[in-house]
Amino acid sequence: MGTFSYAGAVRTSNPSGAATKLGIGEKLGALPWTLILLIAGVAITGTGMLFSVVYDNPVEAGLPMAHLVRFAVAFVVMIGLSLVPLSMWSRLALPIYIATLALLIGVELFGSVRGGAQRWLEIGPIAVQPSEFMKLSLVLMLARYYHLAMARGPVGVLGHIPAFILMLVPASLIFLQPDFGTTLTLLAAGGIIIFLAGLGWRVIGGSALAGVLSVPLVYSYVLEDYQRERVDTFVEQLYGENSDALGDGYQIEQAKIAIGSGGLTGKGFLEGTQTKLDYIPEQHTDFILTVIAEELGFVGAFFLMLAWAVILGWGLYIAIKCSSAFGRFAAGGVVGMVAFYIVFNVGMVLGLLPVVGVPMPLVSYGGTAMLTVMSAFGVVLSGHVHRSETLARSGVI
Amino acid sequence: MAKRRKRKASFARTQRNVQRRMVDPEVDFIKRAAMIGGVGGALWLGLIGRFYQLQVLEGDVYSELAKENRVRLDLAPPKRGLIVDRFGQALASHRSAGRVSIVREQAGDMQAVLSEIGKLIDLPAERQARILRDASRQASFLPTLVARELTYEDFARMKLYAAELPGVDVAMGLTRSYPRGRDFAHVLGYVAKASQRDLVRLTEDMGEIEARNARRLYRHPDMRTGRSGIELVCDDWLTGDPGSREVVTNASGRILEELGYKPEPQQGKDVVITIDAELQRFAIERFGDESGAAVVMDVETGAILAFVSTPAFDPNDFVNGISQTDYDVLRGNDRAPLYHKAYDGVYPPGSTFKMVVATAALETEIIDPRERIYCNGRHRFGNRTWSCWKPEGHGAMDMRNAIKQSCDTYFYEIAERIGIEKLAETAKKFGFGMSWALGMTGGAVGVVPNDEWKQEARGEPWFEGETLNIGIGQGYMSATPLQLAVMTARIARGGGVLAPKLVHEGPDTSPGDDKRFTDTQQPLNPDHMKRIQDAMFAVTGEWGGTARRSGDLGLGGVFMAGKTGTAQVRYISQAERARGVIANENLERKLRDHALFVGYAPHDNPQYAVSVIVEHGGGGSAAAAPVARDILAAAIRRDSRRTPTGNQVSSTDSSSEKGAL
Repeated sequence: MGTFSYAGAVRTSNPSGAATKLGIGEKLGALPWTLILLIAGVAITGTGMLFSVVYDNPVEAGLPMAHLVRFAVAFVVMIGLSLVPLSMWSRLALPIYIATLALLIGVELFGSVRGGAQRWLEIGPIAVQPSEFMKLSLVLMLARYYHLAMARGPVGVLGHIPAFILMLVPASLIFLQPDFGTTLTLLAAGGIIIFLAGLGWRVIGGSALAGVLSVPLVYSYVLEDYQRERVDTFVEQLYGENSDALGDGYQIEQAKIAIGSGGLTGKGFLEGTQTKLDYIPEQHTDFILTVIAEELGFVGAFFLMLAWAVILGWGLYIAIKCSSAFGRFAAGGVVGMVAFYIVFNVGMVLGLLPVVGVPMPLVSYGGTAMLTVMSAFGVVLSGHVHRSETLARSGVI
Repeated sequence: MAKRRKRKASFARTQRNVQRRMVDPEVDFIKRAAMIGGVGGALWLGLIGRFYQLQVLEGDVYSELAKENRVRLDLAPPKRGLIVDRFGQALASHRSAGRVSIVREQAGDMQAVLSEIGKLIDLPAERQARILRDASRQASFLPTLVARELTYEDFARMKLYAAELPGVDVAMGLTRSYPRGRDFAHVLGYVAKASQRDLVRLTEDMGEIEARNARRLYRHPDMRTGRSGIELVCDDWLTGDPGSREVVTNASGRILEELGYKPEPQQGKDVVITIDAELQRFAIERFGDESGAAVVMDVETGAILAFVSTPAFDPNDFVNGISQTDYDVLRGNDRAPLYHKAYDGVYPPGSTFKMVVATAALETEIIDPRERIYCNGRHRFGNRTWSCWKPEGHGAMDMRNAIKQSCDTYFYEIAERIGIEKLAETAKKFGFGMSWALGMTGGAVGVVPNDEWKQEARGEPWFEGETLNIGIGQGYMSATPLQLAVMTARIARGGGVLAPKLVHEGPDTSPGDDKRFTDTQQPLNPDHMKRIQDAMFAVTGEWGGTARRSGDLGLGGVFMAGKTGTAQVRYISQAERARGVIANENLERKLRDHALFVGYAPHDNPQYAVSVIVEHGGGGSAAAAPVARDILAAAIRRDSRRTPTGNQVSSTDSSSEKGAL
């Protein structure tokens, strides 16, 4: 077979085709452009909503444009990354993981504190949040680990232990910053890959039980005061009480009113009264969904959720179609990560989950998160373009 | 093919080794991915269901709740603190004035309502167009300003018809007012509606919610922020804390009823400054049409009693935003009314600097003060000639006579002997080359040149010949009128430490680590100061002194001591000197010399120090000395430096309140 059939491999998606030496033009042609269009659509919706948040506020007037510019940059990055073969991703996984881990430790040691948490590392004029990059690094690293582990045969219970270590080391570092939202996302993305790698049901059941039992311990000994307060407020509002009328509880309550009053078709673009009267803080970041729901109504919220469902389902399909284990786990992990972003964000805004500070991908304002999510999609797209690529089954982890 | 065989072989091996596990990882992956898809789908349906519940099933309830967001807390702007002079005279206060605003959403046909208003008050078509544009740029339920500063009649008429005009609100508001207008334009500065840049500055240290509240507060039509002067630097002190006003609104946010404050806004604190407003007024009037600056200081405390820069602008014009045309007129004026000449203006000090050179000579002991230097009108250094202002020469001059008659030749000679480094060191003891944080914006430092400065500023080493120019306060040397007043006060009090002070009661005005404000307060030798004082009294008190005619203050035996100065603005060539220097009267105004005078009084018991500069006024003895004399006389007559009484303050400027209502 070998090198003679590569053209056919692309056209027919022949799963056994081994060759991947495609030209850039052919790779671009092989990209799933409908999916990419959907991704761009979500980001542009976000820009419109940001405009609605800031348009009567001259101080923040630049946010929508900044969002759009960041998206454009991230878009180019995504397309660029999609051209990188899976074998390259696999080779780079370990170096990237180690570098990001080093940055995380750097944050612990030299990082600057913003908004009460030590998340930022300032290198000259650039401020980066290594915890964001860790999400993708971890996905790649676990994919590589399982790719190589499975090459040696089925992975037993003990075979999953290194994966847990690879996940828990950065997760604890990020938890110390403290950044609860990112820690959860990291655990979710890692957990999904470990699950996909065939973690035994007994272990899953056991850890679920342990998880539930540890909730009181985490609550009492691990959480910071302000985090505990958020959980309290959340539990109270589930029971319809509200002890914190001007803080988190207020935010959740006002978010509900804004969303609910949007009704079926919304109040119209720029016409949201609840959001415009500044009832809801963090509107341009974590709570931007309230603006969508109020101004575009249930219809708007439904179509946003639908768009995400199609994007993520497509991503999962790409994962299944990959011939290499690395590609499967990488794409699957990305899908799991983004899905958790969305579930946490929507659940939080709808008052179903505590306020943990997770943004809505591509829609909320924020540069590092935008770059992380788009790079992650770049990996998924690479998995599509190089789906028939088979990778070396041995190597150093 | 070989590969596939190998894979088969390895698969067989695995099967043998792990017999219990027979799962194909690829198949298992698809199964588990499908499970994730299923769980995800269920979560998605749940979230969409929740949207459906909140928005469609309970949508009406929440719409009702949104409307019931009726009792609203509005930010109530605090009253700004007053700025008063040392005797409690209000310099910055408030004035109440009527204003009209309109809400687009309620007005319906904006154009029609505006033309109705146009029948009641003066509202030109272009103003109406501007209101329409302003209104279309913000949310339809926010108010847009239609007119402000209504006269009593207009206010009454609008109030009467407001009920018939949809969306129109007529209210009384407080605006900042500067009852003394131009007198304190530069010192007080002014306030204005917060611009985008102001908001960035005001909210930079705030958290998100706090910043959002601040931005809402500054949207209030009564809210202003300091833009310059004391109003800017003491902004935090003056601003006070906003309160909340509980109001009942209808669904679209219109206020139907006020329920009261909770909490009440806290008025900002007052600032008491050291200036005597009447003395300031007198000094400005004394300048007449001339442009210039004057600083009067209390010799004992350093309190600034008058801080004049004239002409000035009227800060009241800026409170509601000045029109571009008016602003351009101010900017285009060659007498620089926008500029605080006393604090920000730098001038060559001219002969007023000779006391510093003489002090440096005494400190370095390069000359005996009794030693005489012969002046024939010229001084040679290298192959160049420096001219004395008196072409025929002064004859033999000792130090006292050289100051008394302002002989340039004497100072060329001793400056040459002292050298630039030592000269610069002494100048800094008098306060040159630095500024003081007075609690207001600005503060020029001028230049005390030396080799290091010139290397940095010009990229060249110092030439010894340039030291001669510094000897008569020309060349690179430059100073502010405030620095000249500080110098004079330090001489008058005979050494010791003294720094100027402007804010008597107000925020801490210490400069932090701003490099401009680095007064090290090196002491001056009292014996040297005695000698300088004696020579300065000769200037005004003896026949032959350059300001003999201005020495008597006309208060029955009270004299001032001082020193004249004339600062050249243009270069005078040797050829022109040979022909005869062109007289000031024959030059175009901007080429004429600046007239300077520094002095203190009474000469035998110094209480007040003054510096005066009359821009392009000609000679110091004719143009500046009489002004300084009259200002000092007024200060003594008024007893300006007596202890401030403060705090007998009325919170609103009563005279203008009568005017408005």
